[in-house]
Amino acid sequence: MLFDNVNWNPTTGFQISEFESMIQPSNSKFLSPEEGFLRGNLIKEEYDAYKNMTFLKLKPENEREQLLFKVMAYCFAINDLNLYLDVHPEDEEALNLFKKYAKESMKLESEYSDKYGPLTLKEIQGTQFKWIENPWPWDKVGGTNYV
Amino acid sequence: MYKYVKHLNYPVSITKKDLKMAKLLLTQLGGANGELGASLRYFCQKFEMPDEKGKSLLNDIATEELGHCEMISTMISQLTKGATITELKENGLECIYTEHGKGIYPSDSFGNPFTVTYFAVTGDILADLSEDMAAEQKARAIYENLINLTTDKDILGVLLFLRQREIVHFNRFKELYKYYKEKGLE
Repeated sequence: MLFDNVNWNPTTGFQISEFESMIQPSNSKFLSPEEGFLRGNLIKEEYDAYKNMTFLKLKPENEREQLLFKVMAYCFAINDLNLYLDVHPEDEEALNLFKKYAKESMKLESEYSDKYGPLTLKEIQGTQFKWIENPWPWDKVGGTNYV
Repeated sequence: MYKYVKHLNYPVSITKKDLKMAKLLLTQLGGANGELGASLRYFCQKFEMPDEKGKSLLNDIATEELGHCEMISTMISQLTKGATITELKENGLECIYTEHGKGIYPSDSFGNPFTVTYFAVTGDILADLSEDMAAEQKARAIYENLINLTTDKDILGVLLFLRQREIVHFNRFKELYKYYKEKGLE
């Protein structure tokens, strides 16, 4: 299971838990990539929970899922900053974070593709064309959830 | 040019079969307020945006929405995995099965196929952006209706994420609308 369901209750929702390693400086208007990703919103002030439901805390089960979670979180953060910068290109904090996360994201993606296969066609290496290998993102194979 | 990245925008990992929910979720793929309509709406409107801000925002949100089509389709695929004919009949999916087998065809929950009449391209930036803001609010409302119809946390987690994205997109469109209005661009 990817989701930590210990505190999940359909009527009360999932209580926000600790994000010790994910805290962005408190004067930042942006959340960390991981927390923003889980919430679906990188901008602290804009987060708007539905009723008393917040969000699920994803719980990667193995090293592969853990790494992919990080890849996805940084990809999310870049995308949300991208949209913000489209309208606010003069925002220095957003631009600096964007550059920082873009660099980190490239590192994470190449680490992932070295270990588990390509996420983009550019990452094809070796003698085999690994792009066509399963799983695709909509597949769940052999009990492992390709998140 | 589009380049594919081999992961979803947010993880979809549904373990429990739920054919009713699959049928209801279909509307967020190919229904009036679904993700396909959203993606195409912004994709088509981007060509008439007057400056860098508008062109890039519509382009980039259209791209994200296409990723959301993939997420919704993934949910439907996982929710219907291994469904028998009897189960399809019991859950009112036999008409959809007749036309499409177990394939995923963009339509609403009643089986009405997707149509571009769900959105407009007027060539007027304030009119188009007003529609975009409304579209995000409507999609948010549909996600809330769907959230009210399930207790499966695997589904809820994804719906809460997608709902939140509608809020973010609405805010960006609103900022852009305000910017154009103040600038006197029309």
